[in-house]
Amino acid sequence: MKKIYLSLVVGVGLLFSLTSTTLAQGDYPTLSQVNQRLQAISGSGSPAKLTSLTKTEGGKDIWVLKVGTGDLDNKPAIAVVGGIEGFHVLSVELALQFAEKLVKEHAAKLENTTFYIFPNMSPDAYEQYHASLKYERRGNAAKIDHDRDGMVSEDGYEDLNKDGMITMMRVESPLGDYIPYEKDSRVLVKADRSKGQKGSYMLFPESRDKDKDGSFGEDLSEGVAFNKSLTYKFPIFKPLAGDFAASQVETRVLLDYLFEQWNIFAFVSFSPSNNLSAPLKYNPADARKRILTSMLDKDVALNSMVSGIYNQTVTQKAYNQTNQGTDGDFFQWAYFHFARMSFSTPGWWIPEVKDADGKSIGNAEANFLAWAAQEGRNDVFVPWTSIDHPDFPGQKVEVGGIKPFAMYNPPFSKVGEIANEHTAFILKLAEMQPKLEFLNVKTEKLGNGLTRITADLFNNSPLPTHSQLGERSRWLRKVRVDISKDAKDLVAGDKKQLIRSIGAFGKTSVSWIVKGGGNVDIKAGAAHTGFATLNVKL
Amino acid sequence: MKFKNWIYTTALSAAMCFGATQTSDAQVAAERYFRANGTPHNPKVQVSWNRYHTNKALLEIMRDMVAKHPNLVKLESIGKSYQNNDIWVLTVTDFKAGKAEDKPAMWIDGNIHSNEIQGTEFTLYTAWYLMEMYGELDFITELLKDKTFYFAPTINPDAHDYFMTGPNTGSSPRSGMMVFDNNGDGEYGEDPMDDLDGDGSITTMIRKSPTGNFIKDPMDPRKLIRVGVDEKGEYEMLGQEGLDRDGDGRVNSDGIGYYDPNRDWGWNWQPDYVQSGALRYPFSVPENRAVVDFVMKRPNIAAAQSYHNYGGMILRGPGAEEDLGTYNASDVRIYDAIAKKGEEFMPGYRYLVVYKDLYSVFGGQLDWFYGGRGIFTYSNELMTSYLYFHKNAGRGNQDEQMDVDKYLTFGDAFVKWKEYEHPQFGTVEIGGFKKNFGRLHPGFLLEQDAHRNAAFSILHAYHTPKLSVMDVKEVDLGGGLKEITATIYNERLIPTHSSQDLKYKIERPDYVTLSGAKVVTGFIVQNEDFNRVTEQKINPEKMSVANIPGMSTVKVRWIVAGGGNYSITVDSAKGGKASWKK
Repeated sequence: MKKIYLSLVVGVGLLFSLTSTTLAQGDYPTLSQVNQRLQAISGSGSPAKLTSLTKTEGGKDIWVLKVGTGDLDNKPAIAVVGGIEGFHVLSVELALQFAEKLVKEHAAKLENTTFYIFPNMSPDAYEQYHASLKYERRGNAAKIDHDRDGMVSEDGYEDLNKDGMITMMRVESPLGDYIPYEKDSRVLVKADRSKGQKGSYMLFPESRDKDKDGSFGEDLSEGVAFNKSLTYKFPIFKPLAGDFAASQVETRVLLDYLFEQWNIFAFVSFSPSNNLSAPLKYNPADARKRILTSMLDKDVALNSMVSGIYNQTVTQKAYNQTNQGTDGDFFQWAYFHFARMSFSTPGWWIPEVKDADGKSIGNAEANFLAWAAQEGRNDVFVPWTSIDHPDFPGQKVEVGGIKPFAMYNPPFSKVGEIANEHTAFILKLAEMQPKLEFLNVKTEKLGNGLTRITADLFNNSPLPTHSQLGERSRWLRKVRVDISKDAKDLVAGDKKQLIRSIGAFGKTSVSWIVKGGGNVDIKAGAAHTGFATLNVKL
Repeated sequence: MKFKNWIYTTALSAAMCFGATQTSDAQVAAERYFRANGTPHNPKVQVSWNRYHTNKALLEIMRDMVAKHPNLVKLESIGKSYQNNDIWVLTVTDFKAGKAEDKPAMWIDGNIHSNEIQGTEFTLYTAWYLMEMYGELDFITELLKDKTFYFAPTINPDAHDYFMTGPNTGSSPRSGMMVFDNNGDGEYGEDPMDDLDGDGSITTMIRKSPTGNFIKDPMDPRKLIRVGVDEKGEYEMLGQEGLDRDGDGRVNSDGIGYYDPNRDWGWNWQPDYVQSGALRYPFSVPENRAVVDFVMKRPNIAAAQSYHNYGGMILRGPGAEEDLGTYNASDVRIYDAIAKKGEEFMPGYRYLVVYKDLYSVFGGQLDWFYGGRGIFTYSNELMTSYLYFHKNAGRGNQDEQMDVDKYLTFGDAFVKWKEYEHPQFGTVEIGGFKKNFGRLHPGFLLEQDAHRNAAFSILHAYHTPKLSVMDVKEVDLGGGLKEITATIYNERLIPTHSSQDLKYKIERPDYVTLSGAKVVTGFIVQNEDFNRVTEQKINPEKMSVANIPGMSTVKVRWIVAGGGNYSITVDSAKGGKASWKK
């Protein structure tokens, strides 16, 4: 009796905490709130299973939610990844809300598709959003000598104006190469030397030159950035990258895990890069080199098709979406080194604002400030304020600038709509997954107990079973066709047959000549395409 | 009386025994052996260098080394293999002459490829030679005072033994013991090698066939020769000894591995579709990760050798043409100097560049050691057929190999053709060269070639930096100020920082510190005669020196106030330490 009573209390408590976090939340969640919501999503009876793959250097869990029903390892799967950059807190919320909506509102989709949701790959850095000192952090908690001078993290940021956040500092100086932007003097832009412009400010992150090497904020108190640590175009020895690719435990466990999940056919990453508003470009010369740096042409065409669906589903019009990948990043890795279809979107960006004359503001920061003014937000800029700076005695030094996180993450009130649209997009992508069917099945009696079985194996999907690059990769399985007859009863045709790829709405014909009668079972597919089965009575 | 007698004889024999053990080593040797020049003639650790050792025997030898040479040898496990075997490293140095990690060091490993087991023996031979010659030869004694050696006889212990005990050819397995799906059907290792005749070697299958293109050489029935295009033969070739277990029409199609541990390293790593044999990401082979974790913690490693087989090569990078810019002229000059000397005393060995003279390799070990850590690294491809008859008959020359089998090994290398009832092919004949022939040295060539390769590594290690403070000069500047100029000399070929190291700032700078006087400011002197100097304003007592080049000097100058007796110390990660005292 006591036990039942207790579990009731716990149950009510869980329900209550679930509703309270989703309804009453006014800001992006803390890590412990994220953890609570993950526990709630994966509670008993849920199709979502929550696993901690490891703990980061900072002691934070790297979670995966595997969501599916039935034979979930043999249904095509989509991986949804958030927290690819620690400062992009929106991405974690989008992944979480996708998981919540999937489980609560769209569980029927699990009939055909499995989902892997990695809500936060940068928990160490994410925490900075809620810390007493706020700044746009990328790196984990590893100790790294970013400027490679033999001293570790000796020259990080410093909150000079004690406002609890790291912004910028500008030093009035004829040696500077920055000038105030003409349309918004709060914003500094590089002086255009080609037009003979003279600079008036030096511009640095808010910091001191603690190691007296002339550089400011060049050896940060943070470690390796997940989104700069993967193997594709790995920027070796660059700050935040590490001494070799995948040097950090969270990167390694993620990859180890992914390499064991054979059913993933596509990735949706929430990261600053965007190949959904517009596809990546095809470069024939780079696509011919042995070290690929261009997507292959057929894969660009797929990217383009999916991008069209994204633009139909997501209402925000693309603006300034020029980041189509950075060295060592995750979403390009998923294509170039893992050969899966890979899509990334920031989820939200600052819309274009036009001035009184109807002209574009141009500069991204000035555009942001104009947009914030339109939205009635007056809390996004720290006005330039003079301070005494020990490294610039007697000089005018001011701290100020756009507040951290504001340019990458919308006010939390906007997130619900963004999450709805992106959930809809991911579910549309799932609808498109490879789908194998047997068509035109024929059995012909050849006499004397011999039967010829023929069928078309049809891929009823706008996507091929394998990306063009996937055909080259050993990390995608071939489409395998098995027939239940013993090899000795097969006069012609293979007991086991491997097919490299079946195109979008394409087919491969299969045939056997078998001896004897009875039932014959034929099964075709691969984990990432799902399986088609056929029963033939001889 | 009887009792007394007993005591007496016991005491006597005990005394005799005692005396005997005290004098045994030297006396036994003196009475029995005459020193062969160049070889430890009475080693404390007894090893036969004309056979291959299993993991068990290797560990016994290494433990014996620690027991017999406690001041020269330490043994540690640096991590576990996939099958939970220890990866052992011997640290060899004169531990009484400074800490191992404070001396310039050389890393030597063997057996990254499972079948290439003589690398293990050569690594261990080098360790053995050094410890046994310490105290016998001034050169070696000084070397072990100055340098540290890290020896990893096998960085692939699982497959080291599996090569010996499992069904293998001379070329299998190349990988460790992880099993993958090699044909994309979703099954793992479902069609491994089959040793049908049970002799431990996977050889070849042939079958009598009226339409075959081969006959057995009437002069030598071991040889299968192709008949003329217009002639009828007697045999057809079926390929490797084995079965098609998974029904895909191919024999031995999915066994252990596939991956290549030497495509797994973190410099210019590329995925499998670019570089076949690559695994998931750099150091996803657990044995390699153990090595990397060890090396990353030992910035004193300035030289490295990774043994392979075969072909008689001293290899350097770059592994791929895309990496050509990494190896620049100043470093190549040093690579050339050491390797060309090596060619002279290693007959049959040629100094080659991987991408140009061999094939492209992305993610190779030697490229990571150099590209990723700035360490001067060679890979020697051990064993060359030149060692048989001192002729360049070419790699895998069947006629020459048959002659070796006939005149030098007397049939020990070849499995004679023998009939076998094969469940899929019918009556076949199985035969061919054993797995321990061809790529591996026969016993009588092992010790000699081990010694020559050891000599090459000794030369390589000798040329890691050796620093000293010399020629300290004082000038009185008046007003209680003095100018002190010190010359830091590197009397070996290898710089404290390779140009690759400098390019990426891989290792910290060298520090030259003056203590015992108040330092006003400090300079690096570019040109003493014309007083060209660069000032270091911050912490001038600890001067930061980017590099101390090989066979060259760096001059450092301080202005000091007061101070009578002062000292100067040099602290270099790869160059070791040096000091000077007034």
